[in-house]
Amino acid sequence: MLLAKTLKSSTFKLALIAIGTFGVIVSAIFSYVYLSTSAYVRGRSDRAIMTEYLSLQGAYERSGRDGLAALIQQRIADRSFAGNVYLLVDPSLAPLAGNLEAWPSTAAAARGWTEFRAAEQPPGAANRPLLRAMLETFPNGERLLVGSDIGDLDRFTDRIKIAVILGIALIFVLAGVASILVTRRTVGRIESINATSRAIMFSGLDKRIPLRGTHDEWDRVAENLNLMLDRIETLMGEVKQVSDNVAHDLRTPLTRMRGRLEKAYHGPRIDADDQSLIGDTIADLDAVLRIFSSLTRIAQIEAQARKGAFRTVNLVEITSEVVELYDAAAEQDGTRLTIIGDSEVLVSGDRDLIFDAIANLVDNAIKHGRAGGEVVVANETIDGQPVVSIADDGPGIPIDQCEHVFKRFYRLEQSRYTPGNGLGLSLVAAVARLHGARIELLDNAPGLKLRLWFAVPTG
Amino acid sequence: MTGGHRRILVVEDDPETAGQLVDSLTTSGYQVDLATTGNEALSRGVASDYAVITIDRMLPDIDGITVMRQLRDDGIAAPVLIVSALGEVDDRVRGLRAGGDDYLVKPFSFVELLARVEALGRRSDTIVKETVLRVGDLAIDLMSRTASRHGKAIQLFPKEFQLLEYLVRNEGRVVSRAMLLQHVWDLHFDPSTNIIDVYVGRVRRKVDGQQAYPLIHTVRGIGYCLRAPG
Repeated sequence: MLLAKTLKSSTFKLALIAIGTFGVIVSAIFSYVYLSTSAYVRGRSDRAIMTEYLSLQGAYERSGRDGLAALIQQRIADRSFAGNVYLLVDPSLAPLAGNLEAWPSTAAAARGWTEFRAAEQPPGAANRPLLRAMLETFPNGERLLVGSDIGDLDRFTDRIKIAVILGIALIFVLAGVASILVTRRTVGRIESINATSRAIMFSGLDKRIPLRGTHDEWDRVAENLNLMLDRIETLMGEVKQVSDNVAHDLRTPLTRMRGRLEKAYHGPRIDADDQSLIGDTIADLDAVLRIFSSLTRIAQIEAQARKGAFRTVNLVEITSEVVELYDAAAEQDGTRLTIIGDSEVLVSGDRDLIFDAIANLVDNAIKHGRAGGEVVVANETIDGQPVVSIADDGPGIPIDQCEHVFKRFYRLEQSRYTPGNGLGLSLVAAVARLHGARIELLDNAPGLKLRLWFAVPTG
Repeated sequence: MTGGHRRILVVEDDPETAGQLVDSLTTSGYQVDLATTGNEALSRGVASDYAVITIDRMLPDIDGITVMRQLRDDGIAAPVLIVSALGEVDDRVRGLRAGGDDYLVKPFSFVELLARVEALGRRSDTIVKETVLRVGDLAIDLMSRTASRHGKAIQLFPKEFQLLEYLVRNEGRVVSRAMLLQHVWDLHFDPSTNIIDVYVGRVRRKVDGQQAYPLIHTVRGIGYCLRAPG
C-alpha cells in the first residue's frame, strides 16, 4: 500500500529523473576513464615493443642476420626482457632464432602490428597467452617478429571495465534504494497528514496529526496544521455555542409571540386585549430583530469589511459625544458620569464603530456599576499608545469569567436580570479586533476598569 | 404641508409589502402610485411630479440604485427614500452616496416609514428662511443657539439644542428614535437601549417642566412629536 503510493509519488518520479540524469553522466565519466586508461596502457606497451623493434632492426642493419640472431638469444636469456617474444625466420618461414615455435599463421602482412595467441599454453594459465607484435620483412625475405605478452594488460583493462560497470550498477542501486527510502519517508509523513484529514472529515475535529519530535520541517508543518485545527475547533465550538444561544434567545420571544397569537386566535375579539397583545408582540418582534441585526453587524465587523472607512479620528471627540448621550441615562440612574484625560488622542479607525463600542462599554458601566456610583471615562496616551478606559465602581467581573464575557450571548450570573442581550461585549471585541486594539480588564478595586489599547495611528 | 402635492411613487416588487405600503400611505392622505419593476418606476418617475419616491433596492429587473441614478440623470429631483433588506452600513452609505435622501432597513414599522416620508416631503416643499422658529410659546434662535419659553430662557447643552431644533423643524410630525440618532448624533445604528428616551426625557423636563402646556409628546412604539395644543 505504502510502497505503491511511494512508487506513484511525485517525489519518487523526480528522484528517478535525477537518478537517470546522474547515471548517464556517471556512465559517461566512467567510460571515459576506462577508455583513456586502456588506451594509455596499450600505448605504453606499444612504445616498449617499438623501442625493442628499433634496437633489433638497428642490430640487423649493423651486423646482419647473425648479429641479430645473437642479440635475440641474448635478449631471451636476459630476465629483464621476460615476457617479450622474438622470432626471426627465413623467407620460407623456418625459424632462425627466437622463443616462438613457429611464425603465427595470422601474421601474413609484410609489416605492421598484429595480435595473436601463443601456440602453447603455459602450465596453470586459463588461456594461451595473448601476444601483440611488430612485424618486419627485410629486403632478402627474412622476417622479424618482436612482441610482448599483453595478457596482463588485457586483464588489467578488463578489471577496470568490471570495476566501472560494477560501480555504475552500485550507484544506480544505491540511488534507487535511497530515493525509495526518502520518498517513503516523505509519503509516510504526507500520508499521516492525509489520514488525519480524512479522520477529521469522517469523525470530527478532535484528531491531531502525530508529531515525531524531530523538530524537522515535517514536524513544523504538522504543528502548524494542528494549531490551525485548534483554532478551527475553537471557532466551531463558538459557532455552536452561538447558534445554541441564538436558538434559545430567539425561541423565547418567538414562543411567547406564538402563544399570544394562538390564544387570541381561539379567543373572542376584545379590542383592549387585542391591542395590548399586538403591542407586546411588536415589542417582542423588535427585540428579535435587534438581536438579528446585532449578530449580522458583529459578523460584518469580524469579516473586516469596513477597513475602507478608516480615518484619523479623535478619541476624545467620540468619547465626549458618548458621554453626552449617556449623561441623561447616568443622571437617571444616580450615577456620576465624568470624562477626564487629554484633549486630543488620535487613532485610525471607523468613527461609528468606535462610538458603538464605547457606547456599549459606557452603557455596561452605568448598568452594571453601583447605583449612585461613579463611571469615569479617560482618554490618555500611555507609552505612545492611544488608550481609552472606562471604569466603574460596581461589583466587577470575577477573574475566572474574564475570558468568557466577550463571547456572544454570554451573561454573568449576577446580571441575568439586567436588560441586555449579551451581545454588547462581543461587538466591542469585534470592533477592537478590527482596529487591532487590545482589551485589558483591570480590577478597579472596587469595580471594573476596561482599557482599550489602540494601535499607534500611522501617517 | 401644502395640499395638492402629496403624490408618492412607491417602487416595490413584493405584492404584500407593496399593498401594505400603499394602504398606510393612502390612509395618511397621500395619493400613491405603485411600480413593481425598475422599468415601470423609470417611466412613471419621469411622467409625473412626485413629492417623494420610495425605492426598494432589490427589484426583479433593474437594481434600485440604478433606477435612482437614472431618475436623477433625467432631472428628477424628488427626494428618494431607499428601502432595503440590505441593512449594513456600507450598503446604506452606497445608497445615500448614489443620490438617495434617506435609507430605511427592512423590516420597518409603517409609522417609521410615514415619519420619514413626511420629513422628506416637507424638505421638498418648504425652505425655512427664518432664524427664529416658534411653536406655541417656544422660540428657538438658530443663530444664537438659544431657546426660550414664554420669554424665559431654557439652558440646553449643544446636543439638546440640536434635538429640540430637529423636533421643532418637524413640528406636528412624528419623529422616530432612529431619525433622532441619525440627525442629532449622526449614528446609523440602534444602540438597542432606551438611551434616546432618557435623553429626550431630560430635554422634555427642561422644555416642558412647569409650563402651561406640554410641547413634546411621546408617540407610543415609534418616537416623539412636538406640537402646540389646539
